[in-house]
Amino acid sequence: MRLPSHLPLFWTIFLLNGVVLVVAVLLLLFSPARVSSDAVPSEILVIGIGLVVMLLTDALLIRWALAPLHRLIARLEDIARLEPTELPEEGSGPVLGIARSVNGLLDRLAEERRTGDARALAAQEAERHRIAQELHDEVGQSLTVVLLGLKQLESQAPAALVPDLAAVRESARAGLDDVRRVARRLRPGVLEDLGLASALAALATDFADHSGASVRRSFAPGLPPLSPEAEVVVYRVAQEALTNAARHADASGVELSLQKVGAHVVLEVRDDGRGFTGLEEGSGLMGMRERAALVRAELAVISRPRRGTTVRLRVPVTEEVPA
Amino acid sequence: MIRILLADDHTLVRRGVRLILEQEPDLTVVAEAADGAEAVERVRDTEVDLVVLDIAMPRMTGLQAAAEIARRRTPPRILMLSMHDNEQYFFGALKAGASGYVLKSVADEDLVGACRAAMRGETFLYPGAESTLVRDYLDRLRRGERVPASVLTAREDQVIKLIAEGRSSREIARELHIAPKTVEGHRANILGKLGMRDRVELTRYAIRAGLIEP
Repeated sequence: MRLPSHLPLFWTIFLLNGVVLVVAVLLLLFSPARVSSDAVPSEILVIGIGLVVMLLTDALLIRWALAPLHRLIARLEDIARLEPTELPEEGSGPVLGIARSVNGLLDRLAEERRTGDARALAAQEAERHRIAQELHDEVGQSLTVVLLGLKQLESQAPAALVPDLAAVRESARAGLDDVRRVARRLRPGVLEDLGLASALAALATDFADHSGASVRRSFAPGLPPLSPEAEVVVYRVAQEALTNAARHADASGVELSLQKVGAHVVLEVRDDGRGFTGLEEGSGLMGMRERAALVRAELAVISRPRRGTTVRLRVPVTEEVPA
Repeated sequence: MIRILLADDHTLVRRGVRLILEQEPDLTVVAEAADGAEAVERVRDTEVDLVVLDIAMPRMTGLQAAAEIARRRTPPRILMLSMHDNEQYFFGALKAGASGYVLKSVADEDLVGACRAAMRGETFLYPGAESTLVRDYLDRLRRGERVPASVLTAREDQVIKLIAEGRSSREIARELHIAPKTVEGHRANILGKLGMRDRVELTRYAIRAGLIEP
């Protein structure tokens, strides 16, 4: 039996108590039991038993009525401690109301977290971009001037100074290489200058250079354009997947592909490495998921021991509405 | 005398490059530009044999300027100067019509040689791009794909593997107990046999190999 769902908590309890009292009154009126003006011990006993039965019945009924509320509280505690999930919208009256408001609140929190994450990541990318640009345009140029100037000086300097000048010039060159490497790690200029396919191709080449594994690229021609944010997500996920393949998987071959499947652009990074069991949700995977969520893309990681790992990212293509 | 137009948005870099070039008796800088658009204009009003373009410039990037300049009826030879050690930029430069790509971090050593190679009509490969191309060639050969038919001598076969590992000529010479000059000769022969000396051939190869988009 369930109480009507629109009943406020006050009326629920009032009604239950009322039912118990009415039953007691009816029993008193229509049963042979009577109380004389001077209560005799047998009457006191009967009334005492009646009172106990009444109280017990009342307690049981109220407990039954409040049980959904207790279940709700237990679930709320779970939510506070663990991952936020939807509350089941069940139970009656106030419980249902609370469940609905909490769900609304959770939805808003999730939405705010998503936009907050998006803003943080966008700010991070923008900052990296700025630093990389300054490294290139300022530090890099100054070091180039030093490098060329030293070369020029060497041609005019007395022979005794030439080895020292050459050594300084090599340091300037090493500095320039460092600046370039740091700037490149911060922000792939190639993504902006030459597009996603070129940026992924460059990642593949880097990977082959550093890991010694061979990489097969296949990028479908004429892919629909993605938003700049989505391109950065695709790039970073590919980067992370390749880093994992190099660092943990001990792979000897990797396939990197970008295709259009239905209304999605699908990035796939497949390695033939060690693979892993269970869900080793390392920070790398978490980061990839968070980034994917930003552009409403789906990330799937499929891995089996000794069968390699496949990372698949499906990015929805947003239809550009012609203005 | 090779007449050169020099374009870089950084005045001091331009000055440094100019000093390096003008140390050579056969090279002279006849015009300078501070951005891509200005470079295109200078090519219109000045007679030059060679244009040296920085990749990252305001208003019009070096790549855009190169494409614009290469469209002329009798275009000058084009060399790109760049901070980016990335073969995608190199291929981008080839596609735009440049015949060489020099990294700023080795400009002091390579720029003069690259200018002369460009004037001889050869492509100037920067070392990173060369090993990428060669490694890709070997990968395709191993997988049994059809690659440009070429017969390398046993010695060239040794050299190409070391190039694929990214070794410099000096390192290869030490490894094989031959003179660095000989290694350079083998290098040139290998690149020639694989069709990587010629800009058009090289671009075609990179597209076929999936290294760049057509």
